[in-house]
Amino acid sequence: MIPTARLGLLRWARRRSPWIIHFNTGGCNGCDIELLAALTPKYDVERFGILLKGSPRHADILAVTGPVTNQTRDRLLRIYEQMPEPKYVIAIGTCAVSGAPFWDCYNVVGGVDKLFPVDVYVPGCPPRPEAIIQGFVKLLEKMEAEEDE
Amino acid sequence: MVSEALSFILQLLIFPGFLFIICLAFFSEWVLRKFVARIQNRMGPTYTGSGGILQPFADFIKLLGKEDIVPAFAERTYFTLTPLLCLTLPLTALFILPMTGHRALISFEGDLIFLAFIFTTLTIMVFLGGFLSGSVFSMVGGVRAATQLLGYEIPFLLALFGPAIPASSLSISKISTWQAQNNAWGLWTQPIGFGVLVICLLAELELLPFDIPEAETEIVAGWNVEFTGRRLALVRLGRDVELVLASTILADLYLGGPQQVWIIPPIIIFLAKMFACLLLIGYLKTLFARFRIDQVLSGMWKYVIPAAMIQFIILKLIW
Ligand code: SF4
Repeated sequence: MIPTARLGLLRWARRRSPWIIHFNTGGCNGCDIELLAALTPKYDVERFGILLKGSPRHADILAVTGPVTNQTRDRLLRIYEQMPEPKYVIAIGTCAVSGAPFWDCYNVVGGVDKLFPVDVYVPGCPPRPEAIIQGFVKLLEKMEAEEDE
Repeated sequence: MVSEALSFILQLLIFPGFLFIICLAFFSEWVLRKFVARIQNRMGPTYTGSGGILQPFADFIKLLGKEDIVPAFAERTYFTLTPLLCLTLPLTALFILPMTGHRALISFEGDLIFLAFIFTTLTIMVFLGGFLSGSVFSMVGGVRAATQLLGYEIPFLLALFGPAIPASSLSISKISTWQAQNNAWGLWTQPIGFGVLVICLLAELELLPFDIPEAETEIVAGWNVEFTGRRLALVRLGRDVELVLASTILADLYLGGPQQVWIIPPIIIFLAKMFACLLLIGYLKTLFARFRIDQVLSGMWKYVIPAAMIQFIILKLIW
């Protein structure tokens, strides 16, 4: 009885306070500006308790924008490994989803899912802030379904 | 005798002790976040509890349930000790500040000095925690915290001890009682001191114009960059308690503290004063952009310390 109640509280807390860290793996900055628009006054995702954190140690969600280049590959992996469990990944923009027009460039690895599992894909070039917020909401739903099992 | 001891323990644990202070800390973080958001034309936390009031609590619980990482290069003892002390030191300090009546929970002659001691220890803990968590960013953050201490420590102490002169006592409870009884709030009798204390508390709390040790855009998250899970939860709660502590100090030393007005109980008056100070701090925090560390040091030594000294001289001339 007590463990389930405790898990229920924890699940509630996790859904209510997802903190993100933003990493650009070599995109054109289009997606980054849209992500920032989602964070700033007009869309303000702090309504859902989402905060932008500077340190991967503090964050729950890794928001990646841009195609993964050979240069950023190791850095991205390191940041992913520095995050404490449970952690989630959201790929923002077609570049991060699949590599988009850069998929067969000599210096591009491809989409983020070549390196580690991605929870939510937000396609678009760049996706609108509404779409990014929708992506976050999808991720929160997924978190809930996962922990129910 | 037994009932006295029991009531003291109850006071210590529930009201106005641990439970009350921690609830107050969560509540004031919410007030501050909401207030800052409204100034910036945002909504702030909205959906967690009614109006987002449970947001700080949800953050705390979530952090408790996360993985706990100790970096390989960190000094384990200090890495554990710093978050604990970050919470317990301000909590201890709040016990010597009057909240519900003329007397604080624990009050003795000279507790003002104890308060100053706690503030300095806090900064030193921040420095040690940052320096020994084994990351370059946290080291830079810790060193910046210690450097900043050189700037604000002197005016902070001068402004802290200013109200003690007219009341001719070094006990916080006696100072605030004296101000309330003689209707001579520190805010009116020594306004420069009040301004200096607000500036120094902003620096002590590492709030916006002085958030150099945490500067997110420069050194990731500063001295607390390596803390995860439980440790980060304690650090954050400690920050909230410090926020309460800062506004309580302003309310007690410069605004007369808890006093009975007509039939309104002292605790209500005290909370009103405390939240007024909290909003003042929040307003200043939103208004300014971050200074550079050299600007802080030279500004403190050129303007704030002379202002604090002038206030002291004026006080000595009057009293
Ligand atoms: S998806 Fe489009 S906007 Fe986003 S980084 Fe790639 S090219 Fe730029």
